[in-house]
Amino acid sequence: MPVPDDNETAANEAFLLARIGTGDRDSFRELYGRYSGPLFSLAMRFVGDRGAAEELLQDVFVKIWRGAASYDSRKSRPFTWAVTITRRVCIDHLRKRRRQTSLESPFDETLALEGDGAGESVRSTAEAHEDSERLRGALAGFPAQQRIALELALFSALTHIEIAGRLNQPVGTIKSWIRRGLLDLHDTLSKTSP
Amino acid sequence: MNPELEDLASRYVLDQLDSRERADFEARLLGSPELLARVRELESAYARIIRGLPQQEPPPHLLARIEARLSEFHEEGAPAGSVARFTKWTFFARWGIAATIAVGVATLAIQNLRRDTRPVIVVVRMDPNQSTLAELHLGTRGADSDARFIQLASLAEKYWQNPDALPVSLPASKRMDRAYAVFDPESNQGFIGVQQLPTPKAGTRYYVWIVDTVTHRIRKAGIVPLDGGNGGLFSFSIAPVQGEKSGRLRFFVTAEDNAGGQSATPHGRVVLGGKEI
Repeated sequence: MPVPDDNETAANEAFLLARIGTGDRDSFRELYGRYSGPLFSLAMRFVGDRGAAEELLQDVFVKIWRGAASYDSRKSRPFTWAVTITRRVCIDHLRKRRRQTSLESPFDETLALEGDGAGESVRSTAEAHEDSERLRGALAGFPAQQRIALELALFSALTHIEIAGRLNQPVGTIKSWIRRGLLDLHDTLSKTSP
Repeated sequence: MNPELEDLASRYVLDQLDSRERADFEARLLGSPELLARVRELESAYARIIRGLPQQEPPPHLLARIEARLSEFHEEGAPAGSVARFTKWTFFARWGIAATIAVGVATLAIQNLRRDTRPVIVVVRMDPNQSTLAELHLGTRGADSDARFIQLASLAEKYWQNPDALPVSLPASKRMDRAYAVFDPESNQGFIGVQQLPTPKAGTRYYVWIVDTVTHRIRKAGIVPLDGGNGGLFSFSIAPVQGEKSGRLRFFVTAEDNAGGQSATPHGRVVLGGKEI
């Protein structure tokens, strides 16, 4: 798969968002074609339930439609912007569900059960996808606690402070692990990209 | 780069900053190419991680369900009898506009080989007393609707940065409240730049109207989304009317009473773009 979010792709997608901001349905469909797979996968990673992920993805694309006109390409790339919307929608959903049921999210339960084996749900289905293989390989290179911190930062509703509490580590250490982890992942994935 | 900024950059990308931290960071981001480069690196890493998740596809019918919801919003939000869609235009970052213009220029160059007619863009200048209209002949025409949109956006942004470059002038006035519009009659899309509108009185909102001067039909109407500011650059498009020859368009802004819901016809005081064109 080509690197998906270089400057040219981002510029094209910023243009699509500008068109969506004027009410252009064709541009909306094109952006949906580009983003629905990864955003749905992200929603699945958060909520672990296909029906809920479908509902959340609808909310995400309605927000994209309504917010496209206010997108500012100086502040973030279009894909990051869409991921942030997805993340917020998923976190809102998890928090509501937690209030309603007083249960932890499936992701948190997985972590609590697996201890240093965070990322198991990535590994269990990764064989089918080349990118997932590379991600799995990159994640496997991290110390267990750093891997958990990174996954919690990426795919849970926990703040850095909450992650620090969960892992019984200073907040500064958690921040450093996450920042370093992101950059190391970037370097590793860049080297292993075809 | 210092560790504090590095930390802020990663938390910014991961959406872990509170609203105040985020606003402060964005202000720094816009003034620091080095920080922007770091954020772009982190964004690339983040994108790779998301795209590296086990891929799952949503069901094929989901897009239709989303579009049905969009239609509901559209109908709820539109004034009766007309369609409102004035959206705040966000300026492209330099890299963004450079890349999109590169595409646009390429298509324009091809287009030049096939066409020799000079395209016309309608430019309207408005102040509280009057409107002045001019037709601007361009050397090139966008090959398609997208390319024309880029052309218009570039023009609208140029006039926003430098209003003196507008090809229409208005008599000197002490009043600062002015607006301009650029409109492409072929693709039926355009931009309205509203400059320095006074804060609306309580219970009123500013509406922009586009009316065909031949048929007197309202071609577009919508609330000016000032968002706490006193102006902005807004894009719009107009649905063509089948079998009806369009005349010139008149653009004007009114202050409408908010009490009766959204206005379908202008009743309020004209604040920009007087009767005369």
